[in-house]
Amino acid sequence: LLRPGRRWFSETVLGAPSPPASPLYPPVVASFTAKSKAAKLRRLQRFNQRVHAAATVEEKLRLYGKLQRPKYMVYPQTFALNADRWYRSFTKTVLVPGIPPRAAAAKPSVAATGATPEASKAPEPGAEVPGNAEAPGLAKTPGPGAEAAPYPGIGELRSLACDALLQESFYQNKKRPFLYRDQDHTPGPFLTQLVSTLAAFLSGRNPLLAASSLDLKPEVNYYWHHGEEVVVHGRRKGRVDPVRFQIDDNPHLQIRVPKQLPEVVPLESDLGDVPVIDHKPSKLPLFKKQYENKVFIGSKVADPCCYGHTQFHLLPDRLKRERFIKERLEDQIEVVYRSNGIASLFAWTAAQAMYQGFWSEADVTRPFVSQAVVTDGKYFAFFCYQLNTLALTAETIKNNSRKNICWGTDSKPLYDVVEDGNVKGFNDEVLLQLVHFLLNRPKEL
Amino acid sequence: VFPGVRQAQWLTKTKLVEGLPPPVQAIMDNPALGLQELEERAKHMVSHARLWDTAEVAPRREKYCPVLFENLIHICRLMSGKYPSLSKRMLARNFRIAAMWERESILLQVRGLSGILMNSVTPIAPVASKEEILATKEHVLETFYPIAPTIDLQEVNVYKELNDTGQCFRDGYPYSHPHTLFFLESANVRTDRFRPEQLRAKMLMFAFGNALAKARVLHGNDPKVLEQPVVVQSIATDGQLFQFMVFQLNTTDLVSNDGVKNLVWIDSDQNLYERAQCVPEVKKRVVTKPAGISGFQPDTFKKFLALYLHGTV
Repeated sequence: LLRPGRRWFSETVLGAPSPPASPLYPPVVASFTAKSKAAKLRRLQRFNQRVHAAATVEEKLRLYGKLQRPKYMVYPQTFALNADRWYRSFTKTVLVPGIPPRAAAAKPSVAATGATPEASKAPEPGAEVPGNAEAPGLAKTPGPGAEAAPYPGIGELRSLACDALLQESFYQNKKRPFLYRDQDHTPGPFLTQLVSTLAAFLSGRNPLLAASSLDLKPEVNYYWHHGEEVVVHGRRKGRVDPVRFQIDDNPHLQIRVPKQLPEVVPLESDLGDVPVIDHKPSKLPLFKKQYENKVFIGSKVADPCCYGHTQFHLLPDRLKRERFIKERLEDQIEVVYRSNGIASLFAWTAAQAMYQGFWSEADVTRPFVSQAVVTDGKYFAFFCYQLNTLALTAETIKNNSRKNICWGTDSKPLYDVVEDGNVKGFNDEVLLQLVHFLLNRPKEL
Repeated sequence: VFPGVRQAQWLTKTKLVEGLPPPVQAIMDNPALGLQELEERAKHMVSHARLWDTAEVAPRREKYCPVLFENLIHICRLMSGKYPSLSKRMLARNFRIAAMWERESILLQVRGLSGILMNSVTPIAPVASKEEILATKEHVLETFYPIAPTIDLQEVNVYKELNDTGQCFRDGYPYSHPHTLFFLESANVRTDRFRPEQLRAKMLMFAFGNALAKARVLHGNDPKVLEQPVVVQSIATDGQLFQFMVFQLNTTDLVSNDGVKNLVWIDSDQNLYERAQCVPEVKKRVVTKPAGISGFQPDTFKKFLALYLHGTV
């Protein structure tokens, strides 16, 4: 109807039909607070967005572990039967026996570079000098034959190790050990002495060690979700919840470094199968408790030494070999070492990854590698762990083809017995393996 | 109650010299050691011990004092990459010492858990020259007349005269020379910790005890003036304040008040840092004290390192 003032011809000649600058109505999505599956999804999405958008790593860790619910406490040092299979299934880890071959190939090249400074400073017997000259030649053909060249300087390392052992077990007069505290009396101080003197001695060869930080009895914690279960009793009965785990570990000794160790195999490698266990974790036995969800590598985020190098674990008295032999469970002895290695290293590498800002929704873009030595004072087992994925929750694990990898050896004795100020039956291989672990470093250095 | 060091000096027949001895100063001033880069690492170690080591907000003194000590020793030990003879050292924890001597007809004994001892294969060379040692003959020991010098000491009936560090280590121990004693005052409550003056007296007594035991092992039990003086160092800390001490035992003839005296160099109350703020202090929405370590003194760390390297470098 024509009314004065109505201009119904002017607005339409504007160029393109202009889309509205903002939608006229807000997006139609499910609500936040309703008791429905869609609302639960939106709440989860909002949580994920909040964690993604957190400004600092401390804020991210605080939001990640904010909600406290009952969770399984996973103990790395456990007497549970076949615990290493269960732990591998919780952490999606593949166990590969033996130490990764990259470390063995580095041996002749290290011997070659180590030969010249060592031969000049240490009073080497003349017989070993031709051996050093052969080592560079052998380095061209790496393989089992490379082991034949004597590692220069092994005599000094052996004497350092023997001195540490003799001081703690023989020379120093100590009182009798407290009941069931044998491990704190001799093997504990021996391990501390051995590692600190070896690390200091080798820091000339490995500049990463020269910038390292040594922790005595640090705390390592990690919290994660894996799988789903239905809540059995209580006010939340019937709801589907993720299964929560927490590892609280206390290694005897830990070396942290400012640069990351290089990857052993590429990120997407598949070296084996992860065991699948159909039972609930509480059948292991594993028990639930509700307390603070901590993620900690041994020091706070502000520390520049935020990557891990090597951990050293001492097995307590209740997991002695003699106890297992008395109960006729000899095959479980190795299980103890393996479960300790897998659980502790998973917690450490995953916590390191979280310190860099990765979490289960933002998976790692580079693998995190750390090493561990598990010992009871005489028998040593070596482990190397590569963390390829943090995505273990029920939603993120569906499309995730990556697996974490753990290389491990069986336990071997370092010596046979200590008698009258002499160490009998010293095993050089174990010492060499320890030295190679300590010499591990990124390729640039 | 009493100025402890003066009493300890009389008891051990020692002359006090302020500051550290010239050989140690020479190590500190030696530019070849690369002490500048180590300052950065030392600062990180202090921050680690005081701020970053725990999942709680702030670590307690029982935690941070030993951790700081371990970190500093770790930096010092890493120098053995450059000086391989440094690896001929061994740390002995929970070390027990017992030594006994007679002083003007009073029998004195030092016993106890003296903390952490670092031993080395080779002894430290005497720090004072022969002339200085002879000059101590003229030095008169301060007496406290009318107070008896054994005030505040516990009188105890001793049935067995224990006398040597050989009690603690068996024969044939390769690291037989005591190098440095470390004392960590890590009690949380201030009254459980020693005050600086008494701490220095304790350091002096234990260093004397160790040196005396070693001298008796090397030269026999007769009291005499030593041809090769025995040198033992000592460092004490409560996590922030450091006390440094170098003790040289010149004579085991302790009955009389004259003759050659022993020498001690003390550098006391060295702060490693002023404050360690874990959480920034905010007053009226303004940050007055930011979080972190403030007032870091690199000289204290240099002295620590110099005492560690003394005897090998």
